[in-house]
Amino acid sequence: MNLRRSVDDRATDESRTTGALRWLLYPRRRAFAYRLSDLWKNGRWQLAGIATLVALFSVGVFYLVHRTLAYFLGFPEFGSILTYKLLNMIFVVFFSILAFSNVVTALSTFYLSDDLDRIVAAPVPAHIFFYGRFVETVFESSWMIIMFAVPAFLAYGIAHTAGPDFYLVAALTLPPFVVIPAAIGVALTSILVNVFPARRTREVLVLLAIVAFALVYLVLRLLQPERLLHPETSASFAHFLNGLDTPSSMLLPTTWASEVLHRSLQGSLRTSVFYWLVLTSTAAAFAVLCELLTTRLYLSGWTKSQEGRKARFTQRPIWERFVTLITAPLGAQTRLLVIKELRTFFRDTSQWSQLVLLLALVVVYVYNFRVIPIGEGGLTTFYFRNVIAFFNLALAGLVIAAVAVRFVYPSISLEGRYMWITRSGPVDVSRVWWSKFWIALLPLVVLGQILALATNYYLDVLPMMSWLSSVTLLAITPGLVALGLAVGATYPHLGADSASKVAASAGGLIYMILCVAFIGVIVCLEAWPVYTFFMHRLYETPISTSARLGIATSLGSALALSVVVFVVSARTGIRRLYALEV
Amino acid sequence: MIEIQGLTKRYASVVAVDDLNLSVDTGEVFGFVGPNGAGKTTTIRMMMGLIEPTAGSIRLGGHDLASEARAAKALCGFVPDRPHIYEKLTGAEFLEFVAGLYGVPPAAARERRTELLSMFDLTEWQNELVETYSHGMKQRTVMAAALIHAPRLLVLDEPLVGMDPRGARLLKATLRQLADSGATVFVSTHSLGLVEELCDRIGIIVRGKLQALGTLEELRDAAGSRNGAQLEEVFLKLTAPVERHSLGE
Repeated sequence: MNLRRSVDDRATDESRTTGALRWLLYPRRRAFAYRLSDLWKNGRWQLAGIATLVALFSVGVFYLVHRTLAYFLGFPEFGSILTYKLLNMIFVVFFSILAFSNVVTALSTFYLSDDLDRIVAAPVPAHIFFYGRFVETVFESSWMIIMFAVPAFLAYGIAHTAGPDFYLVAALTLPPFVVIPAAIGVALTSILVNVFPARRTREVLVLLAIVAFALVYLVLRLLQPERLLHPETSASFAHFLNGLDTPSSMLLPTTWASEVLHRSLQGSLRTSVFYWLVLTSTAAAFAVLCELLTTRLYLSGWTKSQEGRKARFTQRPIWERFVTLITAPLGAQTRLLVIKELRTFFRDTSQWSQLVLLLALVVVYVYNFRVIPIGEGGLTTFYFRNVIAFFNLALAGLVIAAVAVRFVYPSISLEGRYMWITRSGPVDVSRVWWSKFWIALLPLVVLGQILALATNYYLDVLPMMSWLSSVTLLAITPGLVALGLAVGATYPHLGADSASKVAASAGGLIYMILCVAFIGVIVCLEAWPVYTFFMHRLYETPISTSARLGIATSLGSALALSVVVFVVSARTGIRRLYALEV
Repeated sequence: MIEIQGLTKRYASVVAVDDLNLSVDTGEVFGFVGPNGAGKTTTIRMMMGLIEPTAGSIRLGGHDLASEARAAKALCGFVPDRPHIYEKLTGAEFLEFVAGLYGVPPAAARERRTELLSMFDLTEWQNELVETYSHGMKQRTVMAAALIHAPRLLVLDEPLVGMDPRGARLLKATLRQLADSGATVFVSTHSLGLVEELCDRIGIIVRGKLQALGTLEELRDAAGSRNGAQLEEVFLKLTAPVERHSLGE
């Protein structure tokens, strides 16, 4: 073979190949295509299952949004204002989530990904490299939001009996809308990676977490959700409505996106197109500005991101004593594995820093309940308070599932490339499973109890409701954790280098949908006993023996289901872990 | 020490390892060589319980790997082809972790750890996170971890990749010392010089089948090579017919 000749041939084609963005995205596209074709050939039932779960999820979101909109539109005077406000809130929430998730994703795609060595070393023009990574970042951070957005906007269209132009407008609004927070996220990441020495990455991420905290808090204050329940605190109802009608700011992309859809629903297509042009041109400008900034700062930032750092806190004697203390009851091998998990978790800034964000979310979550009016003269009553508490039970379960999809589900995949260490040693695979189970269970139980106890305290519910929430969350959390590990071992990404990538995979979606189904059935099983109990309490009538029996059966079934989910998930997870070829 | 019978691994239509039969005695240094994709790593991963065979059995130190996995694995030290170790542990912590997994008492583990860190020139780096290590340093850390419980069988897959000449010399000396102390060494490598220098017997695997087995002298005879011919020449002669056949020549 004439090597010189082949190099020359490649050089003449260089302008053609390096100019093509598609080559940068090629590995991802092929991996996705192979996964689909593998599923099509070897796992049609699995594919059908995923499709069914996605369909059920979409139907659920659609139903929820449609019901809410139908309720709002039942008030002819201000229904349309309320639906607009809700639309604006949806966009604000999407934007905040996207801004933060893009920072985290960009850290991985631009600075930490395994394939960067090869790509940076290749003769790829800087702007092509930027857009290749940018597209990846947008897809990775935005697809879940789009999965929520599609059925939600469909519900908007149907509730307003919109014409086909609305759906076209909605479909065209999402791409520029997701590009803006992505550009902000990538630019922020590029600056942070450069401004702070890489040996202080941890501090950078603390800052990021605090920014996220502030962002969430700001969003909360901007939305002022309590106003929806507190019309009486406004000077007059008209003033209240007027307040709702005022868009947050005409300079915000969220307002433009809301306007595009809202105007289209109202039939003002020209105004809708105007806002779409504003949104799209801003997105394009942001992408170009982000490109200029990132390409200028990239090499120095990437160089710094490759430097190592010392593990300071997790080598201190106080930390060692703490870890020894909390792992004392465990067996020798499980203890070692748990200590290893703790060390690796708290030294991985991309992992532990999200705990700060989680704390922010919990504070905001509890704050929501604090501002719900519960005193005399409020919109709520004894019945309303307890109904909210009951639905809060489901919400708290979903919060636990959302945390688990980020921390528990990826844990098997993240162990993947290191699994040879335990698998080649005299270690029972089930110990690896149990170490991951315990380390996830304890914080999630604490989280669940905080959510239940704090919110029920602010809601001032019946002790029975408080007990039910606590016990239910205590009962379902082991199942949720075991389910996360089982799905993680069933759909592993053993070469994965980032938890957020794993969490955003199809397996993560399957896990979330299974959690929703599990929590949904638990809530259904507990709904009748709670309803019966409240009715008897409200009308002060004694509960009959048959009703008591029914309550016990329903609650017993919920408990039994929790146990079954835990046992089946644990067995499946351990079996799958044994079967994993590493 | 190693008894492999009828070992087979199939991936869909591909047979990675095909009815492999092999035994390695205690105290022997065994070299396992073959072209790329011949089935060396698959065989080793089955020996270490990392993947399940489609058929056949493996006994290590008299323990069946399928039914007495923990007892069999407790005898072994393993150095994989890619030295993936927990990036967020320090070198010293990683050794402490592995010692714990193999049940080495803490005091003995500390002593052994100090000795191995010094032996592999890692003392200076022991409290740094593994993510700061070079490939060669990771390889030496894995080597130290494989030796921390004084294994009776050491299995190595491409141990020289990424090692500097000093590290390579150290590795050879360590393997020889281990064998002299009665331990068994099973090493898979493309470095035929290492095999020639160290191994008592050599197995050549081609397309999943054991093509030749014996001492270097026996392999020379089988290949029809002259006395004193280098392993490289013998290897090429013994593997060429099968490779040509598989290419349809």
